[in-house]
Amino acid sequence: MDGQEPKTETLASLTSGQTARILGIEAPRPLKRRLMDMGLTHGIAVTVLKVAPLGDPMEISLRGYHLCLRRDEAAKVSVERTEGITCQPSR
Amino acid sequence: MPTIALIGNPNSGKTTLFNQLTGTTAHVGNWPGVTVEKKEGTCNVGGEEWTVIDLPGIYSLSPYSPEEKLSRRYILDARPDLIVDVIDATNLERSLYLTTQLSELGVPLLLALNMQDLLKRDGVEIDTEQLSRMTGCPAAEISASKGTGLEKLIGLAKTSVEGHVVPACPLFSNEVEQWLTKIIADDYLHVIPAGRPPRWAAIKLLEDDELFAESMPAPPPAFSAMMAQARASLRKTYGDDAESVIIDQRYQVAERISDACVHAIKQGRKEFNLDTILTNRFAAIPLFILIMAGVFYISIQLVGGLTTEPLEYFFGEWIPIHLGGLLDRWGVIPFLSGLLIDGIIAGVGSVLTFVPQLFVLFLLLSLLEDCGYMARIAFIMDRIMRSLGLSGKSIIPLVIGTGCSVPAIMSSRTIEHQKQRELTVLVTSFIPCGAKMPIFALMIGAFFPDRWYVAPMMYFIGILAVVVTGLLSRRLDKHKEQNAFIMELPRYQVPTLKNTWLQTWERTRGFLIKAGTIILLSSAIIWQMQSYSFTFRAVDPTNSMLATLGKIIAPLFKPLGFGTWQASVALLTGIAAKESIVSTLSVTLAGAPLSSIFTPHAALAYMVFILLASPCIAAISAMSKELGGGKKLVKALAWQTGYAYIAALLFNLLGMLVL
Repeated sequence: MDGQEPKTETLASLTSGQTARILGIEAPRPLKRRLMDMGLTHGIAVTVLKVAPLGDPMEISLRGYHLCLRRDEAAKVSVERTEGITCQPSR
Repeated sequence: MPTIALIGNPNSGKTTLFNQLTGTTAHVGNWPGVTVEKKEGTCNVGGEEWTVIDLPGIYSLSPYSPEEKLSRRYILDARPDLIVDVIDATNLERSLYLTTQLSELGVPLLLALNMQDLLKRDGVEIDTEQLSRMTGCPAAEISASKGTGLEKLIGLAKTSVEGHVVPACPLFSNEVEQWLTKIIADDYLHVIPAGRPPRWAAIKLLEDDELFAESMPAPPPAFSAMMAQARASLRKTYGDDAESVIIDQRYQVAERISDACVHAIKQGRKEFNLDTILTNRFAAIPLFILIMAGVFYISIQLVGGLTTEPLEYFFGEWIPIHLGGLLDRWGVIPFLSGLLIDGIIAGVGSVLTFVPQLFVLFLLLSLLEDCGYMARIAFIMDRIMRSLGLSGKSIIPLVIGTGCSVPAIMSSRTIEHQKQRELTVLVTSFIPCGAKMPIFALMIGAFFPDRWYVAPMMYFIGILAVVVTGLLSRRLDKHKEQNAFIMELPRYQVPTLKNTWLQTWERTRGFLIKAGTIILLSSAIIWQMQSYSFTFRAVDPTNSMLATLGKIIAPLFKPLGFGTWQASVALLTGIAAKESIVSTLSVTLAGAPLSSIFTPHAALAYMVFILLASPCIAAISAMSKELGGGKKLVKALAWQTGYAYIAALLFNLLGMLVL
């Protein structure tokens, strides 16, 4: 999204089953705080579990629980893909 | 009398625990945000009455939506004697993040590790002693739904309150701690409002928390300069703003504690994940439609088909004949027997006929709420709801609204974005609630017995009104603000028998109470008003005071096809409760068929008008509360009623051509 280098991947660019580590969040303050309050903090591994039937929002798993968020929000979370390391198994 | 407050993440089981402790039956469900208001009850602790407060769930003390603000305000201002931090033990790490914030409030804290039963199934064990050591708070293992571990919890609560043991605050990195020490030492901290511990205030100031800043006088320039320096220094070290640095470090504390206390003891039982089907790419939406259709088919069609006729016979013929005979033999004056049989029994009976259908509807909705499916509906429907200017969370009020609009309107409070929340409140009553069902059943039974599609059509017209309102308000909204949809998806769970029964009974009871109070009273008044003229002489109904009043407003409804005084008066009584429309029609018609005042197309228009026009007084007051009353409420009611008028007019005209 706005002002991000093209090379950086965001959470929104991941597909189902992929796991990544969170690098940072670039968003207005209340949204950033909310995402971090929900546990999306630096270095945490997240796995994309699925995308809703109509393409949005997406369901991710982190810290042992499941969270859904829209692609717009996911696009504000920059991540680094970590192939092979999986998060806790899904419920 | 000591006060304990139950606080914890949404859906961690606070209300279930509250119900166990206080023996009440507050509404619980399985989605984040069931409780949107503060609830109070009492609990017996060793012969003493303690006040227990149940609060809306929060993920952190930096609130995001209105009900979260309520929780924060309560904890800070009311200063309970003890906070019971209700922790979903299967989600320890994230729960402890909130604990790190609660422990800074200077109030004794007790950890209630809930959902022990689920934990066992996962093959996980939590070292409670270790947890207690690391957090400095006593901790008890409980299962609120099964009611286990409560004696221990109450015992610990008693020692905590009596000893007033304040928990240890989590420690941040050296740099953050150094800044906090400097802030606490500053004179500006002398003006913090009562009840806020200095360390907590210092953290909030460093974070630049807007809500806290508002409660403080403007800081002196030297202090502001120091804060700027602190934030710049933190940014240099950690590459992020102070608030994020603090959140990060809190989570690190939570991770450390969680890692030290959670042990996998055996392989958890692998469960079939219902989401493979229920949120499946192709099956999700058809299944949602099928499930909702099933709910209505079972409650209205199946149960209604079995019970309506015998009950109608019972209230409409059996009681009047037998009771009438009895009253005659006793020589009761005609006024009283008329009031009793033609007024009260005709009115109340016509509403009671629908109790079995509503009971089953409430039962099925309660099952949907408890199992965890509601959050999934929000997940699969968000894309559609967003294009209407609503949020995925708006679907929850709409589904609950099929039972009753009042709790539905209240549940809209979890929607973070104000405009979406207000729009949800506006459209919720377009969905036909349980009380409107009797009217449809009555009309369809009388005019369209062979047309199966009329009942589903009513739901469809309601949904269409939601869509039209949404699209229109989106078009009118110049700002097109960005908004977020961030929601936890809870685990599925098998609803407990006890809870399902309590929820279903509670709602059915509400309906029965209404029948015994509002409906009874309005039936009695309506009967008297239609039996007497303004000079209190017994007259023919067409010359009664009710008819005179009805005739004043009836011309308004003439274009819609139902400009008779009976139909108009029934609409007015519908403001008190929608079921009254049925009872009023039944009293005013006094045995005459519905077709004497309605043509089929007028009946259709009548149903459409009732479906869409402004709801009953209970729902209006719920709307008023959520919209903040005043202009917004008036606008909302005007939109609903205006829309209803135009829609009914269209149906009347179309009906004339088609029917």
